[in-house]
Amino acid sequence: MIHVNHLSFSYTKQPFISDMTFSVSPGEIFGFLGPSGAGKSTLQKVLTGMLASYQGSAMVNGVECRERTKDFYEDIGVDFEFSALYEKLTARENLRFFASLYEKKPCPIDELLETVGLERDGDKRVSQYSKGMKARLNFVRALLHDPALLCLDEPTNGLDPANSRMMKDMILAQKAKGKTILLTTHNMQDAAELCDRVAFIVGGRICALDSPHNLIMSQGAATVTYTWLENGEHSAACPLHRLSADGQLKRLISENRLQSIHSSEPTLNDIFMDITGRTLI
Amino acid sequence: MRAIRSGFLQMLVFMRRDMMLSAACLAPVLAGLGIRFGIPFLEAVLTERFSRSAVLSPYYALIDIFFSMLSPAMFCFISAMVSLEEADEKTAAYLFVTPLGRKGYLAARFCLPAAAAFLVTAALLPVFGLSTRSLADILSLSAGGTLQGVIVALLIVAFSSNKLEGMAVAKLSSLLIFGAAVPFFLRQDAQYIMSPLPSFWIGKAVFEDTLVFMLPAFASSAVWIRFLLRRYLRKI
Repeated sequence: MIHVNHLSFSYTKQPFISDMTFSVSPGEIFGFLGPSGAGKSTLQKVLTGMLASYQGSAMVNGVECRERTKDFYEDIGVDFEFSALYEKLTARENLRFFASLYEKKPCPIDELLETVGLERDGDKRVSQYSKGMKARLNFVRALLHDPALLCLDEPTNGLDPANSRMMKDMILAQKAKGKTILLTTHNMQDAAELCDRVAFIVGGRICALDSPHNLIMSQGAATVTYTWLENGEHSAACPLHRLSADGQLKRLISENRLQSIHSSEPTLNDIFMDITGRTLI
Repeated sequence: MRAIRSGFLQMLVFMRRDMMLSAACLAPVLAGLGIRFGIPFLEAVLTERFSRSAVLSPYYALIDIFFSMLSPAMFCFISAMVSLEEADEKTAAYLFVTPLGRKGYLAARFCLPAAAAFLVTAALLPVFGLSTRSLADILSLSAGGTLQGVIVALLIVAFSSNKLEGMAVAKLSSLLIFGAAVPFFLRQDAQYIMSPLPSFWIGKAVFEDTLVFMLPAFASSAVWIRFLLRRYLRKI
């Protein structure tokens, strides 16, 4: 679906994206993770044909992005981070207009509104919508022409937990339909939950690329932390894979003296910090 | 073509919902009526009042030039305002990742309104014009006026970031049309100071009654449009 080979791009003389190579298979959710200014959105702009002056190759649906024609967009749905809707128009009018730009027969607008719970607000002006409602409308707009590839830029950014959950469920529903999804985010939890594979991007370079599970496993297993009372409270930790070798823990268990015990796996965020030495803020 | 047509129709929807933009659309007809019936009436009053054979009539051709620039200025002003709103709402950026694309967007927002302005000007000028003109004159004036309108629209979108700023730039950029008056009032070589303005050459062509001067008008318009378009595209 997507083949990127030695891609470099620069806004100035300094390289902004350097020598990126990766592929995305059909039906995959692929995440770009990195702090603000890392080059994630720029990479999406290259892949959506908005930036053509890049070096190397970026093929989407078999088309080199810099040589795209208008047909290129018949199979790509884009959801920007910000609301890009006509505020004076209603949701239905917005969807009707954007649908009219495509040659493909659009998905039924009422059905789309229903999938995101906006069927009763379809005739409201978008200016009267909350941020969550606009985000949902933005999302279904990207689905109007039933594209094979969805490019989502920070889809849960700024949403409350309920809207964020709804958005993630909608993304997973699209994956279940076989769509390929490019997800740009700096939210590690979203990435771990949604993505089949993620690329850590820092300073315009891919620092790591694998499934969230493999990335977590590659950087060390979970640890078990336990506490007990012995002239005050004490605690100790042991790697999960060496638990049977921890004599103190065995003794405390046999004497039923443990106060607490819990395991903790490293998060994708921990792995990101280990690999890149950066936080995601 | 389907996307460009939809994009253009969307602009008409916008125009219909905005009182200011709807009024701007009617302005050429209202101004035309004022010119066609008001100016000759005023001329009759002034010639009688000052006991002169002509007061305004030597400048009827100049008034026709200004009228030829009015429809394009209004149509392109509407386009510019819609584009500014779309830039503000980020819908323009979204339209670039649809089959409309950048080129289609420019066609829908600037080329089609300019073409409509050309047709309207060519239709209204023989009706409301004060001086008798040949078909070639009418088409040349309409083309020159249309290019002037496109320049005004691009000035607005290239140098302002919202509708309020756009209104201010529109007022300032409308001063560019006064280059047309220079050949009528400044007979010496000093008039060529205004030669970078396309409107100056349009005025020159009418004043000298030779269409050859329309060539530098078109050429200077092309330079202005190229410069402003590049600035606008960098901005969006």
